[in-house]
Amino acid sequence: MIWSVAVALLGLLSLSIPVGIVLFLLGFGIDQFFSAFPLMRGLGQVVWSASNHATLIAIPFFVLLGEILVRGGVAEKTYASLDKWFSWLPGGLIHANIGTATMFSATSGSSVATAATVATVAMPQAERLGYDPRLFSGAIAAGGTLGILIPPSINLIVYGFLTQTSIPRLFLAGLLPGLMMALAFIVITAILCKIRPSLGGESRSFGWGERFASLLQLIPIIILFTVVIGTIYAGWATPTESAAVGVAIALAIAAAHGGVSMRMMRDSLLGTIGITAMIMLVITGAYFLNFTLASAGLGRELQAMLTGLDLPPIGTLLVVILLYIVLGFFIETLSLMVATIPIVVPVVIGLGYDPVWFGILMIVLVEMALITPPVGLNLYVVQGARKSGTLSEVMVGTIPYVLVMLAMVALLVLVPDVALFLPNSL
Amino acid sequence: MIDTIATALRRLNKMIALVLGAVLLVTAGFIIVDITMRQFARSLGGSDEISGYVMAGVASWGLSYALTELAHVRIDLIRHKLRAGGKALMDLFAITVLAATVSIIAFQAWPVLEKSITRSSRANTPLETPLWIPQAVWFSGWVWFAVSACVLVALTCALLLRRDFSKVEALVGPGSEVETEQ
Repeated sequence: MIWSVAVALLGLLSLSIPVGIVLFLLGFGIDQFFSAFPLMRGLGQVVWSASNHATLIAIPFFVLLGEILVRGGVAEKTYASLDKWFSWLPGGLIHANIGTATMFSATSGSSVATAATVATVAMPQAERLGYDPRLFSGAIAAGGTLGILIPPSINLIVYGFLTQTSIPRLFLAGLLPGLMMALAFIVITAILCKIRPSLGGESRSFGWGERFASLLQLIPIIILFTVVIGTIYAGWATPTESAAVGVAIALAIAAAHGGVSMRMMRDSLLGTIGITAMIMLVITGAYFLNFTLASAGLGRELQAMLTGLDLPPIGTLLVVILLYIVLGFFIETLSLMVATIPIVVPVVIGLGYDPVWFGILMIVLVEMALITPPVGLNLYVVQGARKSGTLSEVMVGTIPYVLVMLAMVALLVLVPDVALFLPNSL
Repeated sequence: MIDTIATALRRLNKMIALVLGAVLLVTAGFIIVDITMRQFARSLGGSDEISGYVMAGVASWGLSYALTELAHVRIDLIRHKLRAGGKALMDLFAITVLAATVSIIAFQAWPVLEKSITRSSRANTPLETPLWIPQAVWFSGWVWFAVSACVLVALTCALLLRRDFSKVEALVGPGSEVETEQ
C-alpha cells in the first residue's frame, strides 16, 4: 500500500492538480482500493474536525503578525540592519536572508510564514544586485525552516501535546540547535560564495557606527520575541493566545514606524486569508489522507516493518530517520508529524531515547521535508513571492542547506547534549 | 461577459476575505481581553471554543478567495514545459478535478450539519453552543468554494473555445507569474 500511494501521489502532483486536492483524491483512492469498510461517510466529520481547532488559529495570527511587520516596513528595517552586519561576508545579502529568517522564526511560529516574510522583503533586492537566483531563494526557503525549531514553534507544541512532553523544555531544547543551524547556513553560504563568487552579488562593507545605529531597528523585534515567548513561559497565555498578543504588539510596532494605514491593514488581512486558506486546504487534505491511511492500516504496516527488522536501538533509530527523510519528500510537515508520532515515538522512547531530544531530531527531519520536492511548502512560498523564474531553481538552491540539516541530524544522534544541555541545566 | 463574471467573482471573494480578516482581528482582540481579565481572576470564557469556530469558518470561506487569487499550491514541473495550448488544457483539467473534488466534499459535509440540526446537538463545553451555527457557516463556505470552482470551469471552457490562452492563465493558471498584490 505504501508504494502504490507514493506512486499515485507523484503522478497526480505532476498533473499540476492543487496539492490539497491531490491529498483528498488519494484518500478517495485508499477508500476504494485498500479499506475494508467505507470511509467516505467520515469525510465531512474529518474535514470539520480538521479545521475546528483553537490551536490552528495560531496559524493566521502568526501569518498576520508577519504580514503586519512586513507591510509596516519593520521587516525591511530588520533586513537592512542585518545587511550592514553580515554583507562583508562572501555571499553578501544571502546572510541577511538567513539572519532575517532566524529573527522572524523567533517571532512567528511557523516556517511557512517565516519564508513568506523573508521572501517578500528580500526578493526585490536579489535582482537589483545581481545575485544567483537559485542560491538566493534556496537560502530563504531553508532559513525559513528554522521557524519550527526556534521557539515559538507550532510544530513543537503539537509534538509536546501528542507525546505529553513539556513544551517549555522542548522550546529550550530547540533554541541551541536552531541557532547552530543558522550559523552553519551562514558558514556554508560563505564557503560556496568564496569558491564560486558568481553565486553571490558584490560584498559590501559598512562602518561600525552605521552598524551600531542599525541595532536600534532590531530592538522592536527582540521585544516582540520576548513578549510572545515570555507570556508562554510565565504561564499567562497559551501559544495561541500569545500569538494574538503578538499581533497586537506587531501592530503597535508598525504604528510606531508610521507604517499602519487602512490600505496596509486591508492588504495584510487579504494576504493572511489567502495564505491561511492555502495552508488549510493542504492540512485538511492531509488530515483526511491520514484518516484513510490509519483506517486502512498503514500504522500496522509500518510498526510490523519496524519491529520485524530486529535491529539494535541505534539501527532502529537510523531506520526511523531514513523513513522520515523518504516520507518527507511526499508528505506535508504538520501531517507528517501528526501521522507518525503515535506510531514512531513509543517505539523510539521504548528503546531508551529521550522524548525531548527525539522531538528536536524529528523537527530537524521535518524541516528538511519543508524544502525537499515535490511536497515542500517553503519551496512554493518562496516561488510564490518571486515574480519570475521556475520552482526548480529554488529546489537546486536548497541543496547545500539540506546537507547542513543532514549534518545536524548526525550531530544530534552523536551528541544528544546539543539539544538537552539547555533544558537540563535549567 | 466572461470578463464581467470573472471580475465579479474575484471582487466578491475579496469582500468575503476582508470580512474574514476583520473577524480574525476581533477574535484576537477578544483573546487579549480574556487574557487580561484572567490576570484579575476573571474570564470571559470560551475563547478557545470560539477560536476553533472562527478557524473553521476562515478555513472554509477563505478557500474560494485563495482559488480566485491563484494561491492554492500547484506543481508545474511538467506544465511549464508545455506550449500555451497545452498549459491551458492542463489548467482546465486541474480546475475541473478541483471542482469535482470540492463538490464531493461539500456534499459529504452536509450530513455533519444535518445531524447537528436534527439532534439539536450542543458543544460539550461551558458555552453549550448549538453546533449547527458554526457548522452552517463552515458548510456554506465549502458550498461556496464548490460553486466558485464550477463557475471557473465554465469560464475556462468558454475561454478555451475562443482559444484565449492568456486569459485562461490569468483565470486558473498556477499563479507564480501573477502578482499576488495589487
